[in-house]
Parts: sequence; structure tokens; C-alpha cells
Amino acid sequence: MTSSRVLKNRAFEAAMLFAMVVAFGTLAVLLVDTLVTGWPQLDAQLFSDSPSTQPEEAGARPAILATLYLGLIVLALSVPIGVLTAIYLEEYADRKRWWNRLIEVNIQNLAAVPSIVYGILGLAFIVRGVGIGRVVLAGGLILTLVVLPTVVVASREAIRAVPDSIRQGAFALGATKWQVVWRQVLPAAIPGMATGSILALSRAVGETAPLIMVGAIVYVAFDPTLLGPYTALPVQIYNWTKQPDPTFQTLAAAGAIVLLAIVLSMNAVAIFLRNRYRKQW
Amino acid sequence: MAQMRATFQEELRELEELLDAEAELVLRSLRAAVEALVTRDAELADEVIAFDDDIDDVYLRTHQAIELLLARQTPVAGDLRLVLAILHSNLHLERMGDLCTTIAKLTKLSADLPSDEVLLGAFREMGERGQEMIRIALEALHGRDEELATSLIHLDELIDRSNRRVVSRLLELGPENLEWGLRAIVASRCLERVGDHAVDIGEQAAFLATGEFREFTDASHDPRPLG
Amino acid sequence: MESPQIDSARIAQVSRGLGRAEIERREKVFTVTDLAVSYGGNPALEDVTLDVHRNTVTAFIGPSGCGKSTFIRCFNRMNDLIPGAKVEGTVLYHGADLYGRDVDPVDVRRRIGMVFQKPNPFPKSIYDNVAFGPRVLSLKGSLDERVEKALRDAALWDEVKDRMKDGALGLSGGQQQRLCIARALAVEPDVILMDEPASALDPISTTRIEDLMHELKRDYSIVIVTHNMQQAARVADMTAFFSVVVAEDGSARRGVLVEYDTTAKIFTTPSDKRTEDYVTGRFG
Repeated sequence: MTSSRVLKNRAFEAAMLFAMVVAFGTLAVLLVDTLVTGWPQLDAQLFSDSPSTQPEEAGARPAILATLYLGLIVLALSVPIGVLTAIYLEEYADRKRWWNRLIEVNIQNLAAVPSIVYGILGLAFIVRGVGIGRVVLAGGLILTLVVLPTVVVASREAIRAVPDSIRQGAFALGATKWQVVWRQVLPAAIPGMATGSILALSRAVGETAPLIMVGAIVYVAFDPTLLGPYTALPVQIYNWTKQPDPTFQTLAAAGAIVLLAIVLSMNAVAIFLRNRYRKQW
Repeated sequence: MAQMRATFQEELRELEELLDAEAELVLRSLRAAVEALVTRDAELADEVIAFDDDIDDVYLRTHQAIELLLARQTPVAGDLRLVLAILHSNLHLERMGDLCTTIAKLTKLSADLPSDEVLLGAFREMGERGQEMIRIALEALHGRDEELATSLIHLDELIDRSNRRVVSRLLELGPENLEWGLRAIVASRCLERVGDHAVDIGEQAAFLATGEFREFTDASHDPRPLG
Repeated sequence: MESPQIDSARIAQVSRGLGRAEIERREKVFTVTDLAVSYGGNPALEDVTLDVHRNTVTAFIGPSGCGKSTFIRCFNRMNDLIPGAKVEGTVLYHGADLYGRDVDPVDVRRRIGMVFQKPNPFPKSIYDNVAFGPRVLSLKGSLDERVEKALRDAALWDEVKDRMKDGALGLSGGQQQRLCIARALAVEPDVILMDEPASALDPISTTRIEDLMHELKRDYSIVIVTHNMQQAARVADMTAFFSVVVAEDGSARRGVLVEYDTTAKIFTTPSDKRTEDYVTGRFG
């Protein structure tokens, strides 16, 4: 190698290293800062007590519970709907029909729509239109809509990853279309679908803007119910950061740590599943 | 591991069996031809002539079988040498069959002519020797036995000696028996040729065993006396 | 004079394999008349007429693009799964129209099994692979027995009997292909179609599959597509040679049946010069 080539090689490596340091370094700094800030208020009280004007007695229990409920609703709704949609689009839809091509093109677009738009739509159609009001169910429905395109896309990828030779082999044995999908395609695609769903879920859990739009009220001091008022953890954190008392800032950071923990552990499960069930075709 | 290409192995075995069947037919013809010659039996001679059809039949089937085996199984190495050896041996056996027919025809032509004990004895001996050589040649082929194949040279020498005895005896008998003498020489020559063909089969057996083709004796370099 | 024992009937049999007369005496499994296949309006195969007989191995050979794979897929209606595929002409299966109005493709595929070029075992256990067919078809009888018999018939039982619960993808290529054969056998078909079954395998595995075909043809009728004509020479009783016909302007290429006869004839004295050119390797 000539020396100028060596130099360029080294320069490139240095540039990549620098970029990595910037990226991870920034993240690391943020995480450490949050951890350090929130540590004093990270205790059992955070999980057991309701918010209060007195920071020493404040906890995030209703918010944590509501976040968990919202997560469950999203899971229960987005996964079946998303998976079935993906199956229809991949296995049954006739690509030549215009409406299928329309859906095809727009699924990706839907995933890119800013979540606040879903919030506005939800406010108009679900909270006011259907009229159930500013309740947990409404929040769950909105979040489902936010993550549904992602679930559909992830499920489609998982289905597409199943080689066609498997389908051909199953058909050649005399299986019907439904049997091929239910007994071969789906089981093989489940790990990919699970990963995609969990990642979508972890995103939903962190959404703030749409929840504010559909009325996750700031001050809720009781345990939430399905058709009752509520607040979610991201909103609670946001609220605390607006309070003047510095203890609330600490509480906010503590809440952020909890939220981070929830999201990161979900992601960890998703990655574990992906690695464990990765198929060698 | 279980044997592979079982059908192909089977076909090769059957090819060797075909050759055996042909050899049996040739032995039958040889035995009968010499018997007829020695006992002056014209009817038996007719039978020998009829036998030749059977030999030609097996010859043709063997040839077709070889053609199909080569086309369908593309044998290589030892298998290929076996097929080629059988191809040649097939021809030699068929020629032997024709020689027996010639002897039979001669027998018919000379049935009324006088005979001579010495000559008949020589013929008998050549006939025995020929049969022995055919058996040994086939055995050498099946057994891939080069040594056994080479031993055929000595037996061929014995037939050659008998052939020379016939010629010298005929010279002794004189010109009154010319017609019969001419026929006898041809018959003797036929029997000597049977021996040569058996040696040729032996050469094929040696080729099969070693992969090298070598003529045991070469007519142009033969140190032995003529006639 | 004593005659040696010669079994002339057996002598006649050696190396020739089944003769034409013998084959044509056997029941016709498929009767194809004027078959033509097109994809989205483009003809792929035209003018095919031939019969496939019971308990024989019939091979389709020819250069790439000659339509032999398209043709074999007509026998189990796998072409139905390709959008835009159109099949014209008739294919009779034991005398009944395979493409008849009230014929269920699913039922067809149970009786006419298929093995593909690249082994495609399901990402399940060995047992579940072989059991898949009987399960989806709800076949009666002991599943364990069915699975064992299928694996025995495919000459794989001894190698896998102690690891039936292991994943099928852990088997070698040759074993996977035999597993696919066992899978097809498990539903007790009448016919087995093989689309270049050994082209992705090493020579020893290939020979084992060929030996298996000799065994299987006792109970099944086998149709194979192969681009290796020596393979056709070794295994098939009847061979059909397909070739490509190019339109004058060079645009359309379609496949046609050139010659169909006993393998012995095709490889010793083919009637058509195109066949001779192909089998001698002069032309692709």
C-alpha cells in the first residue's frame, strides 16, 4: 500500500471512531445524568404512592399502572389485528387489484405519520365522536393506531422471510391454503412477529403527545380503571418537570428511570427472542 | 454401507453369465464336432451345424447387452475393462463356434474316406486340449487371474505340436489320400485356431486383471517353427 | 447330445431393461394429449402428447428453458398456484380428466406427490416433517407406523430412528432430500414426481437417490425431470426429450416434445437428429 492510501484508511477509521464516540458518548452522558439526578427519589414510594403537592410524599403509582394498562390494551389489540392484516396482505391479496396496491404503498406512510396527528384524530373520533371520553380505553385505542402500521410491517417482513419453498412443499402434500398459512407460515414467522410487536409496544409505552391530546390529565391521585380518567408515566414525568420545587425535578428523573427500565427490558426481551429463534434457512 | 448401484452390478454379473452360457454352447459344439469327425458321424455333424444358430443368438444378445450397458451406465475403470474384455471374448467365442461348424462340414464331406488311427488320436487330443483351454480362459476371466491366463500359452503349444504331428503324418500317408488329407489339414488347422482364440480370451483376462493389454505371442515374432 | 441349460428369456432381458411392448402393456397412469402451457400469455410449452405407464420411471430431459419443469408441474396441478398460468389440452389421470370442473387440486396432490430440486424440509422435527401430510389430510391409522414405514421406504429410517425429535434442518443435504421423499410417501401416493431431485446433491447422495428410485418403482410410478442425461440413462425406463423452439424474430421461446421412447432406444438409436445431437453433447 502507498502511504497516501494508508493515510486515507487511517483517517476513515478515525472518523468512524469519532462518530461512534459522539453517538454513544452523548447517550451515555444523558443516561448517567438521569440516573444520578433521579437516584435519591428512586424508592418504593415511587411505586406505592399517588402524586401529591408535597414532593416528599409523591409517587407515580397511578401513572405506572396506567402505562401498564395501556400497554396491555395495545398488545391485545394491535397484535391480532396487525398479524391478520399482514397475513391477508402477504398470502391472500391479489397484488394486481388497485386497492391492494394502494394499501401496499400506504402502510409504510402510515408508520411515519407523527403520533400527534393520531392524537388529534383520536380526540375527534374516539373521545368526542364515539363519546367515551378521556379514559384509559381511549388512550389505548389511540396508541394501538399509532403502532399498528409498525406491527403490520414487521409481521409482513416475518412472513416474507419464510421461503416459498416451504409453502410449495406443503401445497405439494395436499394442504389447503389455510393449512399452509396456519401450520407452516405462521409458526415460522412467529419469532419475527413477536420481535416486531414488542418493539412496537415499547414505542407505544413511551408516547406522550397523543396521550396529552386525548386527555391524560395531569393530576390523578387514584388508581386508574378502564373507563376512568388517567395519566400515563411520560405525562406524569412531563408534569413534574414543570413544577418549581427541585424535588419534583428529581422525581421526574426517577420516573424517567422507571420508564427507561420498562422500555429497555421490553427491548431486551425482543432481542432475546430474535436471537433465540433466528432461523437458518 | 449397503451396496450401491445394485441394478448396474446386477447387469454386469448377467453379462458375465451370458458369456458363460455362450462358452457352454461352444464347448458343446466342439465336443460334438470332434466326436463327429473321429467317428465319421454325418448326422452328428448336422447337429453341430444347427448348434451354431444358438451360438450366434447368444453372441448377438451379448453384443446388444454390451451396447446398452455402455450407453446407459457409462462404466469406468475396472467395470469398463470388464465390458471391453467381454466384448472381445464374445467375438472369439463366436469365431470358435464357426470353426466347429467348418469342422462339421468337413466331416460330412469326408465321411466315406478312409481314416487313420494316428490322425484320429491327434484330433481327439486337440479337441480335449481345446475344451480345456476354453474352460481355463473363462475361469481366468471370471477370476481376474493373470497367471492362469498366461498358462494358456503352454496348452496352446501342445495343440500346435499335435497340429505338426498331423501334418507330418499326412506327408507319410502319401498322395493316394490327397482328398482326405486336404480336408484333414483344414480340420486340424481349425482346431489349432480354436486354441489361438482361447489364448486371445486369456489376453483379455490379463488385460482385465492388470489394465495393460499385452499379446502373449505375436505371430510375426514367434520363435517356434512353422508347420 | 446333451444341451447346456440356457435361460433364454432371462438372457433376452439383460441390460435392455423393459421393452416397449412390456411397458405399453402396463396400465396408463397419465394420458397427455395436445398439452400447451402459457404464463401470462407467453407460451412456455406446446404440443405435448404422451402416456406414462404404471410402475415405470419416466424421465424428461432437455436443455434449460425447454419446459420440462413446467410440464411436470401439470401433473399435480402445481401450476395452479402460479398466477397467470394457463393449461390447455387434456391430462387424464387413470382415465379421468385431471383438470375437470369438480376435481379438487388438494385431492390431486395427495395422490400425486412431488419432490423438489432443492430439498425443502419444514423447520420442524424429523417426525413432524413426515407426519405433516397425514395430519393435514386427517389420514386414519397409527401415525407412528405411517412415519416409520415412510422413512424405511425412503431408506432413511436407520439413520434417524434415534433422533426423530431433532430438527430436520440439521440433516445433511442427501438426508434432507430423502426426508422429503419420505414426507411424500407418508400420504401413500400413487405417483411420485421429482423435479431434478439430485441436482443439489453430491455424487454419493445422488447415487443413493437413484438406487431408491429403482426400489420405489416397484410400488409407485415415478416421473423425473433431470438436466443430467446420464442420470436419465441410468434410472429411466422411458425418456422424453424436449427441446426449445425459437420464433423467427428471436423473441418467443417455447418448449416442444421432440421424441419419446424407451431409454434404450433414445441412447442407442434415437430417431430424431435433435435427440442425437443432444444426448451426444453436440448441442444444448
